[in-house]
Amino acid sequence: MARYLVGRLLSLVFVLFVVSLITFTLMRSVPGGPFDEGKQRLPDAAKANILRKYGLDQPIHVQYVKYMWSALHLDFGIPYQVPTETVTSLIAKTWFITFQVGMMTVTLAFGTGILLGAIAAYRRGSWIDTGVTFLSMLGTTLPNFVVALWLILGFAYGLKILPSGGWNEPNDWLIPGVFSKNWVLPVLAYALLPMAVVARYTRASIVDALQSDYVRTARAKGLRDRSILTRHVLKNAAIPMVTALGPIIPDLITGSIFIEAVFRIPGLGKYFVTSTFNRDYPMIMALILLIALLWGVTYIITDLAYVALDPRVRLGGTMK
Amino acid sequence: MSKNREWIVLCLIVLLSMIVSACAPAATPAPPPAAPKAAEPTKAPEPTKAPEPTKAPEPTKAPEPTKAPEPTKAPEPTKAPEPTKAPAPVADTTVFGAKLPTDAAPYNMQTWVEPCDIKGNHITFDFQVQVYQRFCLGDLFQDQLVNLDKDFNVIPNSAEKWEVSKDGLTWTFYIKKGLQWSDGTPLTAQDYEATFRYLPDPKHAWDFAWFYAGVLKNWDEIVAGEKPTTELGVKAVDDYTLQFTTKVPWPAFPAMMQFGFGLSKKQMEKYGPLYNSKVETSLSSGPFKLAKLEPGKTIELVANDKYKGFRPPKLQKLTAVYMDMSTAFAAFQNKEIDHLGYEAISPADMDIIQKDPVLSKNYFPHFGDFRTDYLVMDTYNKPFNDINVRKAFAKAVDRESIVKNVLTPIKGMPAYAFLMPGYPASDKERKLKDLQNYDCKAAKDLLAKAGYLDGKGFPKLEMWLRNEGPAWQAVFQAVAASISSCLGVQIDVSNKDYKVYMDALNAKPTKLTFGAVSYGMDFLDPSNMLGIWLSTGRHSWKNDQFDKLVKDASSLTADPAKRMQMFMDAEKILVDDVGGIFIDHRWAGDLFQPYILGDCFRKPDSIGVAAWHWGNDWCWGDFYVSKDVMNVKTYRNK
Repeated sequence: MARYLVGRLLSLVFVLFVVSLITFTLMRSVPGGPFDEGKQRLPDAAKANILRKYGLDQPIHVQYVKYMWSALHLDFGIPYQVPTETVTSLIAKTWFITFQVGMMTVTLAFGTGILLGAIAAYRRGSWIDTGVTFLSMLGTTLPNFVVALWLILGFAYGLKILPSGGWNEPNDWLIPGVFSKNWVLPVLAYALLPMAVVARYTRASIVDALQSDYVRTARAKGLRDRSILTRHVLKNAAIPMVTALGPIIPDLITGSIFIEAVFRIPGLGKYFVTSTFNRDYPMIMALILLIALLWGVTYIITDLAYVALDPRVRLGGTMK
Repeated sequence: MSKNREWIVLCLIVLLSMIVSACAPAATPAPPPAAPKAAEPTKAPEPTKAPEPTKAPEPTKAPEPTKAPEPTKAPEPTKAPEPTKAPAPVADTTVFGAKLPTDAAPYNMQTWVEPCDIKGNHITFDFQVQVYQRFCLGDLFQDQLVNLDKDFNVIPNSAEKWEVSKDGLTWTFYIKKGLQWSDGTPLTAQDYEATFRYLPDPKHAWDFAWFYAGVLKNWDEIVAGEKPTTELGVKAVDDYTLQFTTKVPWPAFPAMMQFGFGLSKKQMEKYGPLYNSKVETSLSSGPFKLAKLEPGKTIELVANDKYKGFRPPKLQKLTAVYMDMSTAFAAFQNKEIDHLGYEAISPADMDIIQKDPVLSKNYFPHFGDFRTDYLVMDTYNKPFNDINVRKAFAKAVDRESIVKNVLTPIKGMPAYAFLMPGYPASDKERKLKDLQNYDCKAAKDLLAKAGYLDGKGFPKLEMWLRNEGPAWQAVFQAVAASISSCLGVQIDVSNKDYKVYMDALNAKPTKLTFGAVSYGMDFLDPSNMLGIWLSTGRHSWKNDQFDKLVKDASSLTADPAKRMQMFMDAEKILVDDVGGIFIDHRWAGDLFQPYILGDCFRKPDSIGVAAWHWGNDWCWGDFYVSKDVMNVKTYRNK
């Protein structure tokens, strides 16, 4: 097991290296740079000064090697957008908030999604099932910023029971330190899509498991439904779910620019977009590597979970 | 590990992470920001017909540029008596000891909230540090050397008067005595000298380095690293006398000092030029000082009680709330913000404003920065190297119809020349109209003369747009359609990323064959607006006669009337030779809450336009909140 893990982590490092190379090449081949020439043309000398300030005047391979060498020392440079901080401290500061939003969304989406999916699977064909399927469809098709705006118009400006934005604002704590009114709308808007996806997958997996022979045998043996659910169905349904739904988590915890912009949450999400528009090369690179790292780790975890759930599967994916 | 134990470990990890996420810690204790609160709707407006929106002003008088410096009288500031110690806050008295107007709300309600783009790229408050990366509510920590009055005349600000030498190369500005920083130290000419020397410094890499190119002595050499910054044509002769030396005579120099801000020499040396980006090191000689800075969340400024300049504010606190600009109008309607600029108002929102009896009375259109939208072409290569093709395109655009139906008259007026009527040397009487007016038949003939009868053989074109919003995309789509339908040529419209666009436009040789772009003035003189068409600029168009006229006129000191005529002649060449195809001039505008008052924008200028004009920074000393705000639920009275 330990050997397997080490192998996977080493391959992850290799993946990160390849990702960094591709990212670097792509972002430097896009026209424009971290300077603005919206009005008149900058004199050539002025432009050279700007490029020199950002370290962009050196040959490209030199820049790459310099950057990767510092990155190995966990120094990702200084973001052009916030020159008074380092990339690491900026990401730490803003991701802290985005992570909160993301984890609450994961909890809500997975918790509710699995519950709804299981109920719909057990009451297949009933109006509950139809309802859940319909809600899933809505959740998958409605864009989250549209839902966000509706929620704001309805609850913040219409009924005036919830704030229109902000995060952990001092005036918006319902139970100080434990629950804030700021959490409700953003998490709701953000969780709708993943909730729908989770519910659909859960329903399908459980329906599939319910129709299998071992469940029929268990019922014939006289086991109660609840025992069947906990001892057999959930574990078997979890296998395809983990593989399909695991990657949703890194997606959610890195935030959504739409949700953060509309609800005025000072998180990491906006930097994914603004870094590209502003050609903030250090930030772009750090963010891409972060995402690659999270996804890589998620896949390792899901692969391990797969082994844990299904005793027939050996580490490395082969069957016993 | 047995499979059971692995399963248990996995469950524990999932459970732990759920617990961790649920126990989100409280925010770091910070003074409560002016969190915009939901507000009660005001009384239902009377169901009378919505009045006409403020008509687009008829520009009858062109604002005159600065003549040989005779500074006009500064607008009357609220006289602030010298307080011996900081006066205790009284409801109807400002922190400067001045009495608020009789119809004003109590001093603690004299607050102002405006929206700030959450996607903005901001690092500094100061123009002199980086122009394109300024925080909202920027440039309030210093008074620049001059300012502009409602009629765009240059008026004294921190400089009480100025004069120019006989040869036109040396400008002497006399700094007012008694101005000071928020720590009590005096503001002197050395602060300005240090700031101006910082501008061309290669290590600074200022993003506006083109601004003084060819104007200040040794600017270009210093930017190129050939001379030290001490050689710049700026000198503090004594504590209150500042002298500038220009490369050529430059009558527009006082107008450029609208951007003559002076950072604190002391703070720059101690903490670097970004000293204003931290509350602890921020120092202000302007009407406000920094109270809170949380980028991405909120910015708070409070009245600077040590301020001795000419615009002591009646407002006590300014707040900028970061938000997505698509939600700004809704926030305005909900009374969470007090002011909204026209850029954040979508066509649908503008519709609501014009139909609403209260909102329409509180939207103030004005010239803004005299911005003109135009089509730019690569005239050095086919097909636009042929004047007949350019003229054909110019005459194929039905500007009147597009402005009336697509843009709407409240947002712009048709353009037949580059300078917006009202700008100095502009074609007020529309004498140039015939050169680029809509005449489809003539356009077709011109295209045929160029060898493309009915558009046959004409290459397919892609019109690039510079990251335009939906309103301007519609306008330029209409322009492309107008040309296509008249001439039979194929034009695709493509909205490009801002930097990709500018990179292509500014490249020499240009990579942009055909595109739409705009330009707004930097200072009020034709040498600025017409100067961008010089062959050394960003456009791929060259006319030696134009170049000579503009260069000579820019430096002409002796005869102001002749100078203006030279600029007008140059513009005629530009329009006739179709350096650009001019589409429209934009009407800027501001939307205010009805309880925000101030003569500076509610009383009209000399041609009858009531608005917050560009360059009227003294308005910050004029704004105040009226008593009416007490009858309305805003963020002030939650």
